[in-house]
Amino acid sequence: MAKFIARRCILLLLTMLLVSMAVFMITEASPGNVARNILGAFVTPEQEASFLAQLGLDKPVWLRYVWWLTGSDWQAQKQIGIPLKRIVTEKGFVEWWAVKKDGTLVRWKLIGDDLMAISRKPDGTFSRAVDNDRWKTDPQGVSVFRGVDTDNHVVKWEKGKDRKVWTFIMGSGWKETSGGPVEYIPLKKGFIRGDPGISLRTGRPVAKSLFIRLRNSLVLAGTAFVIVMPLALLLGLMAGLKEGSLRDRIFSVGGMMFSVIPEFATGIFLILIMAVWLQWVPGATVFGEQAPWERPDMLILPVLTLTLIELGYVLRITRASMVEVMRSPYIRTAYLKGLPYRRIVATHAVRNALMAPITVIMLHVNWLMGGIVIVEVVFGYPGLGKYLLDSALYKDINALEAGAMILVMVAVGTQLIADIVYTFLNPRIRYG
Amino acid sequence: MSKNEKLHPAIPDLKAAVNAGKLTRREFIRYATLLGVSAAAASQMIGISWPKKLAAAGPKRGGVLKISQSIQKIDHPARYSWLMPSNSMRMVFEYMTLTGPDNVTVPYLCESWSASEDLKTWTFNVRKGVKFNNGDSFTADDCIFTINQWLDQEVKSSLLGLVGSYLKPSGIEKVNDYQFKLHLERPEIAVPEHFFQYTAQVLNHRTFEGDMKKAPHGTGPYVLDTYKEGEICIVKRRSDYWQKAADGKPLPYMDEIRFIDMGSELAPQIAALKSGEIHLIDASDNPGPQIMKAVKGDANISVLPVATATTRVLRMRVDMKPWTDNRVRMALKLCQNREKILALAYQGEGLQGQDFHVYPKHPEYCEKPIPAYQPDKAKALLAKAGYPNGIDVNIAVGSEWTDIVRYAEVLKQDALPAGIRVNIQTMPTSQYWEKWTEVDLGVTPWTHRPLGTMVPNLAYVADDKGNPVPWNETRWVDKEFSALLDQASGTLDVEKRRQIFCKLEDIQVTRGSIGIAYWMNTWMCPSKKLKNVEAHPNLIFLFNEAWLDV
Amino acid sequence: MTQPDSSIPADSPEIIVPDTDVIRFVRLRRLWEGLSVLFASKIAVAGLVIVLFWVGVAIFAPLLTPFSPLEQDWKHPNEGPSEEHILGTDELGRDLWSRLIYGARVVLVILPVSQNLWIPGGTAIWGVFVALTVGTTLGLISGYYGGWLDEITMRLLDAMMAIPVILLFLIIMTALGASAVNVVIAITIVGTPGIARLVRSLTLDIRTREYIRAAETRGESPWYIMFIEILPNARGPIIVDAMLRVGYAIFAMGTLGFLGLGMPPPSPDWGSMVAKGREFILQGSPWAALWPSLAIASLVVGLNLLADGLREESMRYQ
Repeated sequence: MAKFIARRCILLLLTMLLVSMAVFMITEASPGNVARNILGAFVTPEQEASFLAQLGLDKPVWLRYVWWLTGSDWQAQKQIGIPLKRIVTEKGFVEWWAVKKDGTLVRWKLIGDDLMAISRKPDGTFSRAVDNDRWKTDPQGVSVFRGVDTDNHVVKWEKGKDRKVWTFIMGSGWKETSGGPVEYIPLKKGFIRGDPGISLRTGRPVAKSLFIRLRNSLVLAGTAFVIVMPLALLLGLMAGLKEGSLRDRIFSVGGMMFSVIPEFATGIFLILIMAVWLQWVPGATVFGEQAPWERPDMLILPVLTLTLIELGYVLRITRASMVEVMRSPYIRTAYLKGLPYRRIVATHAVRNALMAPITVIMLHVNWLMGGIVIVEVVFGYPGLGKYLLDSALYKDINALEAGAMILVMVAVGTQLIADIVYTFLNPRIRYG
Repeated sequence: MSKNEKLHPAIPDLKAAVNAGKLTRREFIRYATLLGVSAAAASQMIGISWPKKLAAAGPKRGGVLKISQSIQKIDHPARYSWLMPSNSMRMVFEYMTLTGPDNVTVPYLCESWSASEDLKTWTFNVRKGVKFNNGDSFTADDCIFTINQWLDQEVKSSLLGLVGSYLKPSGIEKVNDYQFKLHLERPEIAVPEHFFQYTAQVLNHRTFEGDMKKAPHGTGPYVLDTYKEGEICIVKRRSDYWQKAADGKPLPYMDEIRFIDMGSELAPQIAALKSGEIHLIDASDNPGPQIMKAVKGDANISVLPVATATTRVLRMRVDMKPWTDNRVRMALKLCQNREKILALAYQGEGLQGQDFHVYPKHPEYCEKPIPAYQPDKAKALLAKAGYPNGIDVNIAVGSEWTDIVRYAEVLKQDALPAGIRVNIQTMPTSQYWEKWTEVDLGVTPWTHRPLGTMVPNLAYVADDKGNPVPWNETRWVDKEFSALLDQASGTLDVEKRRQIFCKLEDIQVTRGSIGIAYWMNTWMCPSKKLKNVEAHPNLIFLFNEAWLDV
Repeated sequence: MTQPDSSIPADSPEIIVPDTDVIRFVRLRRLWEGLSVLFASKIAVAGLVIVLFWVGVAIFAPLLTPFSPLEQDWKHPNEGPSEEHILGTDELGRDLWSRLIYGARVVLVILPVSQNLWIPGGTAIWGVFVALTVGTTLGLISGYYGGWLDEITMRLLDAMMAIPVILLFLIIMTALGASAVNVVIAITIVGTPGIARLVRSLTLDIRTREYIRAAETRGESPWYIMFIEILPNARGPIIVDAMLRVGYAIFAMGTLGFLGLGMPPPSPDWGSMVAKGREFILQGSPWAALWPSLAIASLVVGLNLLADGLREESMRYQ
């Protein structure tokens, strides 16, 4: 069993790797321009190039992928020959510093032709000093220096070369300077080291937004799951008990009717009927700073929509499984043995009939997530699905990748759980 | 205007125009206030009394106002592309002037101003005793710093096209801490109205370093508490705001305003408004009858209508084929069945347009007939232009502006008889804004501006070097048009301005680059709990004296 | 795998010289068997009736309505059912019944490739058909050859299946833009892995049968074995699966339309109809969104019933 789980976990990682590559490549190939999205329609080509360089978007796609995955600090560190350190300030900003041999943290700034070293003392105060000794002359006779700038890049400065560089200077906007950085490596820790990067769309760290969104989505999906599962299994078993009976027909056809109406239509008509006409429940989710469980009334309609969609599907599978079991020879044998009907159903039939649905349901989680995205859009629910939708429309690669990884983890993870549950329900299966 | 200063010499002329019936009283007040006369004094001059603001019946203090709004990424107010962030931030940052719902511009952070006779020198007096929320005093330096930001090439503000066309940084003169002068390159009457453009929020020159979120030091009634893009923005009441309420204590009445991002789907927002979870939907960037139609008749929600010059511009790039040929442009314009477009795209809630960017309620509007739908004439024009078999064109539209999509669908249908086969390319709205100045044919939303000269100066002229200004999405530059527009911008006499505008309108109709089929009415639909609010043509929020009945 | 006997040329014409009458007879009998399976199940018949209804109205759409789906009766937008417009009109005054049945065409009967060109076979059908072709080929090769080829293919397909469908749709459609062909591509990409897995598992089973061994001994080429010997014997479950997939594809088209990523206007496809009509639901005109929602639902129910019935009956038949 442990071996089986280990194997599956490795497969999960492999899958995530493949998916992350695929998302990176497809997003790369899609139209749209991040620079224009962020800077507005009026950027000049120079500004755009400079902006792309500072975000590292001018680098080839494979390199950006490697940086996204494993971080760029190790490579940058090799280039400048000084160890780098990532700190979080009291205000919550992430900053990267070079660590000098004596342990002080230092970054540089170019002012005119002078290199200014900014050192951070342990108490959080700064000191500045001209640090021109670090200029090195490269084979072409140009003075260059590689160091950490104040904006979390490792950069290469060149002195005395009249190169136009556009940088965003606080207080005055985009400035054209000469002799500024000519190459940037944006510093990040990389996804596998727990840093999904900064959202290009909102400018906030992805991890910060993602956590709340994920929590909200889990609350929604979890609530729906807890309601749908017992209900659907119960109804499915009841329907399958007597195949072809009136009860069977009502349950299966009714369940199917709701599960095939698109969720966006169900959602809007529910708003119309339940919230606008009858005014029973709120038709939208407005949480503000609150958590979803503080306003359970707002969850009613989204959960109801998801329930209607999912109920029919699970019900039908359970029913089919139950029908099959009730027809099987061992149930007939049990009858012949003269066991009471209730006992046959309770001990023999139900256990076997539940096996198929549980695995299928877990595989269905993938599909359920699609439903959640739509439901979140319809009800204005601040969840992961809506975040993903916005990120995809905006080409916000960091947010998209992080969201995709979470979804993949959920999808593959539930499959793993399904397999494990299956072995408990079906003792005949042993994984070697 | 302080009492010891002389009246602007044009005032008597304006008054004469009123008496002669050439100028409405409303327009007189509007021009007189632009020239620095207080609204009350201007009303007195023409013998009506300016309605004093009634002390609203027992405004209550306290409460949290909740507004649904998309919380966008912001850094510099001069770079806002949207009204929405200006709406949340105008609770924190303020403007030098204020153009009210009646299109009259009145003093605000600048307590008075005056203009020279030739309209080329403007003197602004800065209000004393105003403090930023970080304790700094507000002075002329802050105004000058802010104006310089607009004029800075690198900030890339849309105000550069507007204000930069008549003002250079060298023309700003600081007289003392509470007075500054602007020396314009050419006469311009709309300076005070430009100061209330949504991008013109006044910054604190001591602390602003390019990102307003890091130093949210404005003079407004609220302070910024939280700004989470895509999630929520919270502003909280400050206790030392410069404006006083009727009871003598400082405004504002409400404790807190929360802007909540609910996404762009309207249905949940309408449902939340109806159930009282939010008090208002910020529709400033996507005005339309959808909200109004859905809440009409709801006992808990008021519907405040306002006619506006907000519109959808069918824009053709004159530097790209086939739109280089005026006959082709004309042919497409002739395919607009305006009455039908207005009825279907905007449910009939507006005015029909005439293919020039001046709307019937602009003071300088010169009356012109509504162009008729003439597919036959369009077909003939196309044939003359070398397309006897018609042409295939792609039109770019943002899919979230549903009225624009409907506009395109009607146009597609009505252009068929003329031989113009329109292929509608929908794209997410964010993708449209990425290339709105680049596509050859598309429909762009343009927001309301109070004077007829303002939009043409933003969108249909070139800069000093002859390059189209940043927002000139069609690249259409016409020498005669530009010269006339400059002349109009410096002409005070409305009758004379109107005469110039007759020519301007004709030029845009006969050889312009745009079609305008309808002007949109808009509505503000607040919960009835929110008291003392008025609908502004831009649907911006002027909530200093608003209060919540809780 | 047995080494084919090299003494018999692989393409030797003498091996089978089938009588055309015999072939015709065999085909007829197969068809009859298939139909009898179908008609034995009431569920399947009910499903078939619903599906045929939609196919029928789609094919004969121009005969069933006096209105064009694009004609704008601009004095009467957003109206409920009336004598003139039996289902009412949409936001541009277009007849909803016309749009509904022409929408069925886009889904089931024609694929609009560009503005002026369309090819037979609906958008959903094409999507599933292409997915079926690609998936079946992959599955057959993977299952028949096995080994590292199988391993790599399956791991890649597993990875694709692990990407939530909605995310895949989003990324693909934002990358490609809104058009009918791109919808087909999206449906294909999403559907292929599932079909490939199914076909592979069927192939693994059938590969061990006697007649495959016989064909291999005869020296048939692997392609012949895969497509002529294995595929026809796996057709039952594949057909059932394909029907369910057409249902999913219709559903997916609706979802894409809702997200504004479906077909460009003024296409009357059902997803776009709901997407546009939903703006007017809260304004008191729910018709434009209601009918296409019900149409999607009924067609998917029909396909599901048909697939269910076929599956149950064919199981009983065995």
